[in-house]
This record gives sequence, C-alpha cells and structure tokens, in this order.
Amino acid sequence: MQILFINNSGGGFANHLDIAEGTTIEQFFKIKMSGQNEEDNLIRVNRMPVSKDYVLQDGDRVTITPTKIDGARSAVLEQIA
Amino acid sequence: MKKRKKQRKLIRLSNLLLDSLKKLNGSRLKQIQTVMDEFNEKCLETIKDKHLFDTAVEKNWLIGAESIRSRIERNLNDFSQHLQRFKELINSDEAVTPNLIDIFKELLQIEQEFGKLNINFKEKTISVMTEDIVLDDTSLGPFEIRLFINQLAKLYEDSPYRVIAIESNPAGNNSEVTHPHVSGERLCEGDGHVAIRAALEQGRFNDFFMLIISILRTYNPDSAYISLEDWEGRGCYDCGDTISQDECYYCEKCDREFCPQCSTYCRVCETTVCLGCSSECQECHEPVCVDCMNTCVDCEEKYCKNCLNEEGLCKNCELERKENENEELHSEKADAEV
Repeated sequence: MQILFINNSGGGFANHLDIAEGTTIEQFFKIKMSGQNEEDNLIRVNRMPVSKDYVLQDGDRVTITPTKIDGARSAVLEQIA
Repeated sequence: MKKRKKQRKLIRLSNLLLDSLKKLNGSRLKQIQTVMDEFNEKCLETIKDKHLFDTAVEKNWLIGAESIRSRIERNLNDFSQHLQRFKELINSDEAVTPNLIDIFKELLQIEQEFGKLNINFKEKTISVMTEDIVLDDTSLGPFEIRLFINQLAKLYEDSPYRVIAIESNPAGNNSEVTHPHVSGERLCEGDGHVAIRAALEQGRFNDFFMLIISILRTYNPDSAYISLEDWEGRGCYDCGDTISQDECYYCEKCDREFCPQCSTYCRVCETTVCLGCSSECQECHEPVCVDCMNTCVDCEEKYCKNCLNEEGLCKNCELERKENENEELHSEKADAEV
C-alpha cells in the first residue's frame, strides 16, 4: 500500500512511501517522526484532521507540519547572497 | 448562486497561481543552468590545479606544490558550498507538479484552516490573517501573510511574500521590527527556509501559510533582530529615556548604558563615559574620565592629565612656585648684596 507523505519539518520533502496495511496515523507518526510529540505537529490526512486511530488507506496524502519553527536571519541572507 | 460565484473566483485564482508556478518552474531550470555553469567552472579549476600539482610534484618543486595545495584547500571550501547549492536546486521530489484541481483544493483547505482567504485580483495577492501572536508574554498583534502571485517566479531572487503587522507593537527602538524575526515586513525564515521554498515550488499554498505561522509563533532569541528582552527599548540609566541601539552609549567605567545627552567621552583617553563618571577639568573645562583626572599636588584641585605638568602642578601653582622661587632668589641676592 502506498501513501504520499509530505514532511514539512526540515526539508519539506514529499515522497511516496510503502506502508503496511492497517497502519494507523499514530503508528505512522511514531515511525516517521520518532522522538517528536504529536502535539507539536499539525497532522492532516487528505487535507483533513483525523483521529489517532485513523487507519491509513492506499493513496492517502499525509501532511505533517511542525507548529513551532525557529526563525533566524542568517539562513535567508545567506541564500540571497 | 453565491457558492457558484465563489467557486468561479477560486478557479480563476487557481489558474493564476498555476501560471505563476509554471513560470517559477522555468526560472528554476534557468537557475539550475546558472548554478551548473558555476559548478562546472569549479570542476575545471580543480582539473587545472591537478595538472599543475602533478607537474610540481614530478619536478620536485616543493614550494610550488605546497602553494597549489593551499589553493586547492581554499577552493574546496567554495566547491562544497557550490555543491550544496547545486544539490538543493537539483533535488526534486517525486511529487508531481500540481494541476488546477490540486491548487483549487489547496485554496479550499486554506479557507478551512484559516477561516478566510483574502483575494485581491487587482494586486494579484492572496493573504491570510494569523491570530494575535504572543511570545513570552509580549503581544505582537495579528499578522497578515500576503503572497504576491506575480513574484512567485522570482522566488530564487527575492521573497514573494510579506508579513504585515496589523495591530503593530514594534520594537521600541526600531519601528520596522514588528516581530523578533520580522523586519521591514520580511520574515527571517531560519529553519523553515527549505520547507517554505519546497511548499511554494510544489504549489502547496496551505503548507506555505502554515509554515510561516509556525515561525511567527516561535521565538528564537539567539538570532532575533531585536530580542524580546529589549523589545520596549533600552532605558538610559541616568534619565530613563528609551533609546535605540544606535543611540545607546556604553560607559566603560560603570558598565551601564546611557543616552547621548547623558554620556560624553574623555578628552584625554577618548573613552566613552557617562556624565557621572566624568568631571570637568578646572583648567581646560573639558570632560575627563576619572582615570585621566589628577589632583594638583599644591592646591589639591582636580585637573586633567594634560593640564598638569610633570611635577603634578596645575598652571596656577606652577606659576606661583616660579614666582616664589624668583622672590626667594631676589631676596637671596639682596641678602648677599647686603
């Protein structure tokens, strides 16, 4: 079973992933975002909030966005330079 | 009827965004071309250096070989930077370029997440409003995140969006800084930079707005334009007036900050000092710091080092001594004559 996973922490990568049938969003989060708290992230499946026990379906679009990101001036200026 | 009108509006907007994304993709390819040229140039330089290095080693020109080695070392640093930039640009996710339906869904999601999506077709902008941003008990008011659709194609040259304070509570000493990470309506993206760029490149506009809000909700004291500690501005230790960083003078004697009116500099050692740590020389009437102020050995009045002679006498006492000495000489002469 394949899902589209968009990880907005760090690089903001979007990838198609193979996952086991019956995987819940909670299990998926623990695997992919190990060490992180669910409360610190906005989790959307097919653009909608879902409960922890939501079982992922083939073709689902999962987005995880951190609710807190450190801003800084250096990175932007370096890029422009 | 109203729903249909709204749908039409969103479709029109989706088309506009899609056009901009196509242009952005074009500029991305051009950017890759430029970076690839730079990268290629660096590779050619390395090859050239390799030949020179080989020749130098073969002919036992040790100083020359060492000089080339040192140049290669310097170039390697540039090379890794070019490689990183090249990798960043060339890396492409397998996520397909969005189509009209994807963008339409993004716009619907923005409305769902933020309650309202503001559309301005005339200026070609879309924007959302944040809630009141409060960081460490400092309320900064709500912000409008405004994306300029026409500027999307220039993503690699300039930021296509602005972060506008609505009920601005700017830093006391710089009205341009409306948030520790926003100056002149521009956000310092920091750790969110790559993710924001990816979201825009892939037409994930909802993620884009979410990421900006996540940065606005976070305070990173280590790299803020102005830290929240100094948000209300610095206070002059003497008069208490709020002062900006540019107007702030640090007294090196008492280690406190002062406004321009309450500070000066020592005319002898040129150190910045506050009025309390300086005093006026009785002779030249210039302000002088405590270290450069001495007491006249005779009259015990305070004078700057420049106004005391080598014996530690002020001009008056020096003159007085000379007069006394002359008088003594005269009297001695007179006595001798008698």
